[in-house]
Amino acid sequence: MLRVRNVSLAYDAEPILEGIDLEVETGRFASLVGPSGSGKTSILRAVTELMSPRNGTIERSVPLSQVGFLFQDDALLPWRTARQNVALGLRIRGQSAAEAGACADSWLGLLGLEGFGDRYPRQLSGGQRKRVAIAQVLALEPRLLLMDEPFASLDAIVRMRITQELLDLVERGHITVLLVTHDLEEAIALSDVVYVLSQGPRATVRARHEVPIQRPRNVLETRQDPVFASLLKTLWSELADDAPAREGAPQ
Amino acid sequence: MSPLLNRPLVRRTAALALLLLLWEGLSRAGIIDPFYAPPPTTVADAFVSLFTDGEIWPHLQATFTAALVGLFAGLAIGIVLGFAAALVPLLAELLEPVMILLNAIPRVILAPLFVIWLGIDLASKVALALILVAVLIFFAVYSGIKEVDQRLVERVRTLGGGRTVLIREVYIPSVTAWVMGNLKVGVGFAFTGAVVGEFVASSRGLGYLLQFAQSTYNAALTIALIVLIMAFVLVLFALSERLERRLLRWRYV
Repeated sequence: MLRVRNVSLAYDAEPILEGIDLEVETGRFASLVGPSGSGKTSILRAVTELMSPRNGTIERSVPLSQVGFLFQDDALLPWRTARQNVALGLRIRGQSAAEAGACADSWLGLLGLEGFGDRYPRQLSGGQRKRVAIAQVLALEPRLLLMDEPFASLDAIVRMRITQELLDLVERGHITVLLVTHDLEEAIALSDVVYVLSQGPRATVRARHEVPIQRPRNVLETRQDPVFASLLKTLWSELADDAPAREGAPQ
Repeated sequence: MSPLLNRPLVRRTAALALLLLLWEGLSRAGIIDPFYAPPPTTVADAFVSLFTDGEIWPHLQATFTAALVGLFAGLAIGIVLGFAAALVPLLAELLEPVMILLNAIPRVILAPLFVIWLGIDLASKVALALILVAVLIFFAVYSGIKEVDQRLVERVRTLGGGRTVLIREVYIPSVTAWVMGNLKVGVGFAFTGAVVGEFVASSRGLGYLLQFAQSTYNAALTIALIVLIMAFVLVLFALSERLERRLLRWRYV
């Protein structure tokens, strides 16, 4: 589905990533974990052509129109209602307002926001806005979904709930996912394969781990799996080795 | 405090009434010179007679026409130039220094020049109101577009939106917000332009009347005219506010 080969990225003259190789097979859930500032987000931006790589190639087996991008913040169009925000992508694809609106409503319903279609973003809570953003992306039925720490801004309970909802939707829709996160537990709980990035600048992929936990998964129960604990330990030590000494060891 | 006095509006009105009463009393008692500060009742008389003898209408019409034509033309020109400069770098390069200069100077100093160029009739007043408003709106639009939330631009792009969609879904709504935020200032500027233009040279208008009242040392008429202009600007402010709340409904829900 997605193959990133020997990709280097830079902002102007500042190198961020070098020689990145990673591969996400169709229907699989991959995560990219790494310290803040390692340039994880930039990879997603390069995949969606918001940024062009300095070197290397990015191959996708689906056109850009089938790639969904769930951003870190929930910047919805403030002047559009929840329904209009969700319908936006469908309208861009030429659906009529009525068609797109109906589809948006059903997605809002799926994400527990039935009856919230006429609200403006500022009338919604952080969790509700995140759900609208998820509906906005999933309504386009992407084959490849890129997520950039989409849950970072949410409190623990809402986060757990939305993560599970999204995981269910992804598993049911057999959507291929590349998730970028600094949350190792989240990465393991959700993914089939985890890539570990080294500290930037010039960050690179330093490890790749399979997560042999069966699906469908429950985000909470997954954490009880013995594989989870041992993999978490491995990931921590890999990242700790790499972190600057002053940051100390993780708890 | 009595329950009635608990309301800010009641307190403010009461304070104003008290001040007017005091002014009236002091002026009548001759403690302050009625020549400089005629009592409010005399001002009210002057105000009423402006309307009863019908003398005011052509002046009102002149000032309103100049201010409103200047306002709308200034809005249109400011919006078009702002968009153009934001989209065409060469134009921005040429326009920006001119606009910065025009923004830095008190633009009313251009009034005499407009009189020389356009005569003492309506055109010179419209031109002054227009340039006051256009520069303000130009910066609102130009910086509004340059400072558009890039996250929104990226969202729309990743949802498949091209240039047209971006302009419709992101740029126009954000620029509308900026322009509406400046509309009240624009209304004030338009009246400033019209009235100052009339001060400089004219044969009609509230500015002309004010000039006349001042030259005859008619303090009552001067104050009455000031109150009249304030009243009209306040009405226009209220209308702008309603328009803003309507267009920016998402902000007030």
